[in-house]
Amino acid sequence: MGLKTEVLIVGGGATGVGIARDLSRRGIPLILIEKGDFAFGASGRNHGLLHSGARYAVTDPQAARECMEENRILRKIAPHCIEETGGLFISLPEDGLDFRDRFLRACEKVGIPTHPMSPEEALHLEPGLNPDLLSAIQVPDGAIDPFALILSNAREAEAHGATFLLHTEVLSILSEKDKVKGVRVKDQLTGEEYLIETTFLINATGAWADHFLKPLGLRIGIALSKGSMMITNRRLSQRVINRCRPPSDGDIIVPNHTVSILGTTSVRVMEVENFEITPSEISLLIHETSRMIPSIEGCRFIRAYAGIRPLFMEEGKEEDRSISRGFVLIDHEKRDGLKNLITITGGKLITYRLMAERASDLICEKMGVSIPCSTHLIPLPGADQPRGLKERLKNLPQGETLCDCELVKRGEVETLLKDKKLKELQDLLHRTRIAKGTCQGGFCVYRLLGVLNESEKEFGDSNRILKGFLEERWKGIQPILWGSAVKEEEVVEGIYKVIFNLKL
Amino acid sequence: MRVRAKKEDWLKKNADLCIRCATCMAVCPVSRVTSLFPGPKNTGPGAQRFRHPEEPSVDHWVDLCIGCHLCNGVCPAGVPISELNLLAKTKYLNEKGRPFRDWLLTHSYLYGWIGALFSPITNYLLQKPVVKKLLEIILKMDQRSPLPNYQSPLFREWFKGHSSKGGKKIAYFYGCFTNTNDIDVGKATVEVLEANGFEVTLPTQDCCGLPMLGNGDFDGARKKGEKNLSSLLQVIRSGVEILYTSTSCGFMIKHEYGHLLELPGAEELANHTFELFEFLRKLKESGNLNTRFKRLSIKAAYFTPCHLRALGIGLPAFEILKLIPDLELTRLEADCCGMGGTFGFKKEKYEIAREIGNDLKKAIDRVNPEMILTECEGCRLQIRHLTGLKVLHPVQVLRDALLLRP
Amino acid sequence: MGYDLIIIGMGLSGLMAAKTALDLGKQVLIIGKGMGGLILFSNTIDVLGKVPETLPLKDGLSHWIKEHPEHPYSKIGVEGIEEALSSFVSLFPPPYTFHSFEGRNRKLPTAVGTLRPTYLFPTTLSGGAFLKEGNTLIVGFKGFKDFYAAYMARQLKCRYLTVSFQKEGPPDLTATYLTRQMEKEEVRERVGLEIKNSLRGETLIGVPALLGLHDPMRIKAHLEAITGGEIFEIPTLPPSILGMRIFNRFKVYLLERGANFLLGHNVSRVQIKGSICEGIEVLHPPISRFYSAHHFVLATGRFIGGGLEADRERISESLFHLPVFSEDSPERWFRKNFFDSHPIHRSGISVDHSFRPLDHDGKTVFENVRVVGTILSGHHYIDEGSREGIEISTGYWGVKRLFE
Repeated sequence: MGLKTEVLIVGGGATGVGIARDLSRRGIPLILIEKGDFAFGASGRNHGLLHSGARYAVTDPQAARECMEENRILRKIAPHCIEETGGLFISLPEDGLDFRDRFLRACEKVGIPTHPMSPEEALHLEPGLNPDLLSAIQVPDGAIDPFALILSNAREAEAHGATFLLHTEVLSILSEKDKVKGVRVKDQLTGEEYLIETTFLINATGAWADHFLKPLGLRIGIALSKGSMMITNRRLSQRVINRCRPPSDGDIIVPNHTVSILGTTSVRVMEVENFEITPSEISLLIHETSRMIPSIEGCRFIRAYAGIRPLFMEEGKEEDRSISRGFVLIDHEKRDGLKNLITITGGKLITYRLMAERASDLICEKMGVSIPCSTHLIPLPGADQPRGLKERLKNLPQGETLCDCELVKRGEVETLLKDKKLKELQDLLHRTRIAKGTCQGGFCVYRLLGVLNESEKEFGDSNRILKGFLEERWKGIQPILWGSAVKEEEVVEGIYKVIFNLKL
Repeated sequence: MRVRAKKEDWLKKNADLCIRCATCMAVCPVSRVTSLFPGPKNTGPGAQRFRHPEEPSVDHWVDLCIGCHLCNGVCPAGVPISELNLLAKTKYLNEKGRPFRDWLLTHSYLYGWIGALFSPITNYLLQKPVVKKLLEIILKMDQRSPLPNYQSPLFREWFKGHSSKGGKKIAYFYGCFTNTNDIDVGKATVEVLEANGFEVTLPTQDCCGLPMLGNGDFDGARKKGEKNLSSLLQVIRSGVEILYTSTSCGFMIKHEYGHLLELPGAEELANHTFELFEFLRKLKESGNLNTRFKRLSIKAAYFTPCHLRALGIGLPAFEILKLIPDLELTRLEADCCGMGGTFGFKKEKYEIAREIGNDLKKAIDRVNPEMILTECEGCRLQIRHLTGLKVLHPVQVLRDALLLRP
Repeated sequence: MGYDLIIIGMGLSGLMAAKTALDLGKQVLIIGKGMGGLILFSNTIDVLGKVPETLPLKDGLSHWIKEHPEHPYSKIGVEGIEEALSSFVSLFPPPYTFHSFEGRNRKLPTAVGTLRPTYLFPTTLSGGAFLKEGNTLIVGFKGFKDFYAAYMARQLKCRYLTVSFQKEGPPDLTATYLTRQMEKEEVRERVGLEIKNSLRGETLIGVPALLGLHDPMRIKAHLEAITGGEIFEIPTLPPSILGMRIFNRFKVYLLERGANFLLGHNVSRVQIKGSICEGIEVLHPPISRFYSAHHFVLATGRFIGGGLEADRERISESLFHLPVFSEDSPERWFRKNFFDSHPIHRSGISVDHSFRPLDHDGKTVFENVRVVGTILSGHHYIDEGSREGIEISTGYWGVKRLFE
């Protein structure tokens, strides 16, 4: 088997899929390959924040402006992926009010609407806040579901003829002199290896950007910054809560579906898949975020996870928090003499569309195509559908409740199973709320596999998959094992090691 | 407002304790008989994660919680599941609006005395199929449900004509049902206490408020609670302890006044209020119980009401009745009668109540007794309805053993 | 009034302790917040799953005891364990009784198609031991999410059948709902017929363990009469109907013998004078009650039951504040992989020969407190497959040695 295409995008994160949507809307044939499922990297490992840009208003006005513009666009084109929660920047006694004043001026400068409020007003809206707060400023932050966003982009791209090959890994890049010819890939599930020839190649691998370029002898200088996050059992606030001080560890709490996500840390790492969360990161997150919402100190956590931010290093800036969160688009023709290769990385989830637009513009320029970008004008598929938790609960499909914690019914899974492209348990988990609640799949993944067995859908040996899931789950559980979580783990161990007698 | 926020916080913290273990799913009488109710694990701490004080309720099934507290009892993590359900049910019914029927069911104290005054007419009418049918059509009360009989004169009136003599004073909270529908329970209580040397007084009292609380009417329940508290506190402050024979009224007074309604003074009252047999057991332990029992050769079965179990005092009536010679007493292996206070009257819930009741009926059939004894009036109505057997309060049998009358 | 004995905890060890005390004619109060792991995991009676089926369990146990002097079994000895087990079994007269296969462990199939060794199991499970590729029809119920026949059948290379229970409406059925349905004769007729019609030469029929609470053997016999095959039960995800049968049996037994049985109540405080516990306080907001006794048994289990609690720094026993023997550093409580053996499960309370708690110097902490069940240190019930054996034998001997 061999494939041929006009544009080959490597990387199924928000940026890659965003480019696929953009280019396919302009009528350009393309293939996107991704070694895992969509959002394998940072796109799936962040706190799901619909940035207002306010966080960067003081330190990085350019990034802040981009965030705010994209924030407005996303509200229009992807309302079904967004919860318009609003956000607060709160100042605590130890923060003083100096930064707050700079913050207000900076937001005004870059066009981020703010609404200062008194501590009383803020406490009325969010009773869980630290009652000692000095002030709160409302900004248009929100919550976004990255996975739903990426899926919508992909759906539209497919409707315009794009091809997505998931679980497909790059083995090698074929090049000659000043051009890349194609990429040898491997289907990770079937083991099949084949060549995809392409006229243009886009490196949208995010944190893997340098890793991808290495065989070509290239390097753009990406710093890897690990950010760890913790998930609480329930929502602690209805709004995004930010600490009004220069960007720092543990300065944000984002509501997301039924839970809240506390973030983040920033630790320089060398390996791109180092997702380990250290006890000191956990202590730091709890300590810092509980200044904003004191009940976090005794709160029930259900998981911790980490993502790797790709940061583009400019000369002389070594401190991660000071490195720009803006994105970088590299034309390797200008930089390295490779005519048909571009790299796009860095940036933030919220600016994915802008990044895709810039990358697509560059490709179009190289191709001599003059159709303009339209991704900011046309709503994504699904934008007109009712959204939100309440809607979902009102329209629960039929059948047994597979996931008790998040109320996912069998009917929802059966609908998904009609999609022949889903090949792995994780593909299903990404597309439902299964295993995202209190027990983190302690009960429901067995049930999900039960349904798969009944549907004769073969993902492989169920016990191997179940064990694999439990190990994957453990990575997120182990860092938060104290209090109720320890009790619950005794239940889960009891189920799998005692009742089911599964052994490694 | 502050109280509400505190409660909200309390709810969330407690829901967070759930370890998803499913022990509660093993004991819920409702999810055992119907697939319409997803069970305590889901309706309590599970759904709590989805609830928000400012958003409309989405979990209509919470209205099917019968309020038996069985789930609370078995939860190893200590999640107050019943309370979570009750508060969610309250919010749901506040939004949805309550049918007039619920008002009637929770305000029987207002018209109970009229029913009793005209008891021959009331009872005649309430047994008429056409009246039952009308109740069903107009009020959505299930025509098959066990409607009570009204009795006249009221217990309180009977007591006026009775002069209680004895040494130490003791106050009796008899409850609405004893007053209008089960007067003999009141008489028996007075006689048993007098036989133990007490002078019985009847303090001023109103409906305890449990029917309202059970139907999610916190404000109504609170008003009743406040009224009772002010009169009952006077009683205990004069050095007289209070006894009750209805385990439901008792649970309300002893625990919910303080715990759910947060009424001031509730703790003081709770510490001086006792279930009748709990009190008699204390007498027995101190050697002061009148145990000059006559032989009663009866085969009876004893049923534990939900609220007695929730009271956490064990089975004092069972222990005391065991002392009666020749009385063959078996404890029934069943957990909930299905009546759930006013639950079983409602058309939409009658089937569920009857199914739960059928499990109890099977347990009764296995024992094959002449009569059933249980402290709760709801249970008595339901068991009579299910089995046609004679169903009494344990105090009525105790009275017979003490003062066998013709 | 003071009790002879107050037992705190209503899991298997507490119930066993209560039974033993009542059999000795003692006045007993048993108080429990929940039922521990009984209704979650106790489908069968594991004594020491590590002993291979080729060896009589007795021999395996005596070897184990020699190798593990710190293990609770080493305080009891092989004969003591057997005595305790027979006391447990005596609660279940035939037909629904517990037995072993010739005194050895036996492997029974699980819902995910693995085989797990266990020692004593109820009669309704025994057919599973004879499951072979192709000889068994695995039966599940549509809408029951705690057991999937297809999953198990595929793993064991057998056929399966999913019986539709409800004719209309979206099925979402719980274990207790189905258990109750199976107690109805007309339901069994229908289910039995559907099974019979699906048999293709299979002689064994595996069904989820939902064959009623009151008379499982009659239900089994009825289904066998209809289908012509041998029916056996398969444990499901929690809650466990098998565990409920055990609990219900204990409850009847204890109440019949006059135990004061307080389920759902939490001991909030213990009153201590020197090395003597005088009583316990039970908080039931807004009131507390005080109960006194001559002796106390702590049978509060591990983390699920609340006997042990882990915060971010240490593991503690929160009622008597007994010294807990555990790994010092929380970082060593758990290992890197889920399926590793986690050291946290070895932590617990150390006791002397008569099950009195010891401090780190080996001195008795309380004279009249006995500690029994999985809260004890020196075992790893998950790895060993020893949960019920430890609960039964320590519950039994903790009380027996007290009154001897």
